[in-house]
Amino acid sequence: MPGFVREHSWPIVLSVVLHGALAAALLAATLISVNHSLPTMQPIPVDAVVVDSQVLHAAQRALTERAEQEAARVRAAADAKAAADAAAAQAAADAQMAAAKQQAAEEAKSAAAEVERTKQAEAAKASEAQKIAAAKRAEDAKRAEDAKRAEDAKRAEDAQRAAEAKQADDAKHAADLKAKAEREAELKRQLAEEEHVSAVEASPARAQYIARLAARIQNAWIKPPSARAGLDCIVNITQIPGGEVTSAHVSQCNGDAAARQSIENAVYRASPLPAPPDPALFERNLVIHFHPDE
Amino acid sequence: MHKLFSCLAVLVLTWACPLAHASEFVVEVTKGQTEAIPIAVVPFASAELTAASFDVAQLVSDDLARSGRFKTMDRKDMIEQPHTGANIGFDDWRRLNNDYMVVGSMQADGTDRFSITYELYNVLTKQRLLGFQISSNRAGLRSAGHQIADAVFEKILGIRGAFSTRIAYISVLGHLPDKTYQLIVADADGENPHVVMQSREPLMSPSWSPDGSSLAYVSFEQRLPTMYVQTLKTGDRRVVSAQAGVNQAPSWSPDGKKLALVLSTRDGNLDIYVKDLTTQQLSRITDDPGIDTEPQWSKDGQSIYFTSDRAGGPQIYKVGIRPGDKPRRLTFQGSYNARPRISPDESQLAFVTQENGDYRIATMDLRGRGDVQVLTKGHFDVSPSYAPNGAVLIYASRDKGRGVLALVSADGRVQQRLVSSEGELQEPAWAPF
Repeated sequence: MPGFVREHSWPIVLSVVLHGALAAALLAATLISVNHSLPTMQPIPVDAVVVDSQVLHAAQRALTERAEQEAARVRAAADAKAAADAAAAQAAADAQMAAAKQQAAEEAKSAAAEVERTKQAEAAKASEAQKIAAAKRAEDAKRAEDAKRAEDAKRAEDAQRAAEAKQADDAKHAADLKAKAEREAELKRQLAEEEHVSAVEASPARAQYIARLAARIQNAWIKPPSARAGLDCIVNITQIPGGEVTSAHVSQCNGDAAARQSIENAVYRASPLPAPPDPALFERNLVIHFHPDE
Repeated sequence: MHKLFSCLAVLVLTWACPLAHASEFVVEVTKGQTEAIPIAVVPFASAELTAASFDVAQLVSDDLARSGRFKTMDRKDMIEQPHTGANIGFDDWRRLNNDYMVVGSMQADGTDRFSITYELYNVLTKQRLLGFQISSNRAGLRSAGHQIADAVFEKILGIRGAFSTRIAYISVLGHLPDKTYQLIVADADGENPHVVMQSREPLMSPSWSPDGSSLAYVSFEQRLPTMYVQTLKTGDRRVVSAQAGVNQAPSWSPDGKKLALVLSTRDGNLDIYVKDLTTQQLSRITDDPGIDTEPQWSKDGQSIYFTSDRAGGPQIYKVGIRPGDKPRRLTFQGSYNARPRISPDESQLAFVTQENGDYRIATMDLRGRGDVQVLTKGHFDVSPSYAPNGAVLIYASRDKGRGVLALVSADGRVQQRLVSSEGELQEPAWAPF
C-alpha cells in the first residue's frame, strides 16, 4: 500500500485537491441557496433547485470520470505486476520440481543396491542354519532314544501305581459325576422354566389372558350417562395371586367424577379377576385402559 | 388419531410410573353395561317413629328404583341395619352385591320437627360420598326424601336427579253426560295432586313455561277451543289465543317469550304459528294443505319440530322459524310417527309410533345415525314427555280400559306405572327443574 501511494503520489494529490475544490463549490452553492430562501420563509424556488441539481450532477460526473480513469490506471498497473509475479513463481516452482526429481532418482538407485546386499547376506545365513539344524536333529534322535528307554521302565512302575490310585479315585469320581449331573439337570430345569415364561409371554396364551380380563371388567362396568365415546381413562390396579384386587387408582381420565368412580367400581366388581391360563403369566400390576366406543 | 393419542398416553404413563414393570399388561376396555346400579337404602328410624311420621328411607329407595338407574335392595334381605358409616360391615354388604348404600337416622325434635342425618357410601371403595343433615316438619318429610334421592342420584351418576320436580296432567272423572275434566299438578312420583283447573268441558294440552311458573292449556269451557296461560301460584289466567276455528297444542319457546301453536284457516287447514306473548304478534311458520300440528321448540329456539301428514301418513318434521325455511322430514320408519318431544339436551327425539296397530313410545337418536328404538310394549302408549334430566319419560297408557300414567327410562330398560286414585289420566307434561 505505501508502495502504491509512493508510485501514484501525483495522481492522488491531484484527486484530493479536485475533491476538495468540488466540495467547496458544492458547499458554497448550497449556502447561497439556503441564504436565499431562509429570510423569506417561502418554499424553495423551483429554478434554484434545478440549478443546484445541475451543478451537483456536473460535479458528480467529473468526479466519477476521474475516479474511473484512476481506477483503470491502477487496474493496468496491478495486472502487469501480477503477470510478472506469476512468471517468477512459475520459474521457481519448475526449478524446485527438477531438483526433487533428481533427488528421487538418486534415492531409488541407492535403495536398489541396498536390497541386493541384504539378499546375498540372507542366503549365506540360510545355508549356515541348515547345517546347524542337521547336526541338532542327529543329537536329538539319540537323546530321545535314551529317554524312551528310561521312560518305559518308569511307565511300567507308574502304571501299577496309577491302577492302585485309580481304584481309590473311582469311587470319589463317581460321586462327583453324579453331583455334577444333578446340578446340570437343575440348571436345565430352571432354564426351561425361564424359556417357558418368555415363551408364554409372547404366546397366544397372553393374548387370551388379556381378553379374559377385558371381558370380565367390561361385564362389571356399569357406565354412567357421561361415559360415551371420547371418554379416555386409565386405571392402575394391583392384584394378588388368586385375582383379588387390592387397589385400583384412576391415574388419568378426561371424564367426570361419576365416570371415574364407575371405572374404579368396575375393577372392584370384577374382583377376583380371572386366573391366567398359565401361572407364569400372572401379573401383579395391570393397566386398564377405558375408552368406550359408543 | 385418537387411538394414537391413547397409545401415547399409555406409553408416557408406563414410563412415568416408577413401579411400572416392563411387561406390564394393558387391558383395553371399550364396552360397558347399562344395567341398574345396586344400592341399599337402610331404614333411617325405628318402626315406631316411622309409623308416627313418614318412612323417608323407603321414599328415597322408591325414587331411585323408579328412575330405572338403580336396583334397590329389599329390606328383608338386609342382614343388619346400620345408621352410621362406623357400623357398616362393608365386606358383608359387598357380598350381598351392593355397590352403594345410604344410611341415616331420624329424630323427633319436639312435636312437629324432625331432623334427618344421612350418608352415602361406596361399598366397593368404602368411601363416604355424602353426609348431610336435613330439618323438616312432618309435611315436609316427603320433599326431604326427594331431596336426598336427588343428591344420591347426582353424586353417583353425575346428572341431576328429577325427583323433586312436578308433573301436570289431565284427569277425566265420571261418564257422559256427567263428565268432569281436571288439570292437575302433582309431585313427580304422582303424589300430592292439586287441581289447578276444573271444567265440565274438555281440557287439553297442558304445557309448562320454561321457568315452571305457568301452564298454557286449551279449554273448551266457552264451547269453542280457547288457549289460556295460568300462573300456578296465584291462579291468575289470561286468554292467549281465541281465533275462530282451532287453537291448540301450545309449546313455549325456550326463552318463555313466545308460544308455538296450531291455528286453522276458514277451510279447516291446520298450520303452525308463533305468537309473541309481549307484542301479541302472530307469525305463520308452516303453510301446507296437509295437517301440521303438535309443535315443539328446538333447544336453541330457532326451529320447531312438528307432526305433518303432508306426505300421506303423519310423520315428524323440523322447520326453522325464519320466513322461507323449508321443513325437513325426520322420521321414515313406519307409517305413523307423531307427537315429537325432544330430550333436554336435544340428543334424542321421543314420539308416538304405530307398530302392528299398537301405539308405542319410540325414540330417535338425533346426533348419530338416527337409530330408532321402541321403548314401550303397551297397546295405547301416547303423549311422551321427558323428565328435565332426560333420564326418564312419562307417558299416558291404558290399563284394563283405564287411562293411567307410566314411566319409561330413556333407554327403555325400566318401565313403571304411577299409582293414581281415580279417573282417566291423559296428556302428562313433566315440569322443568
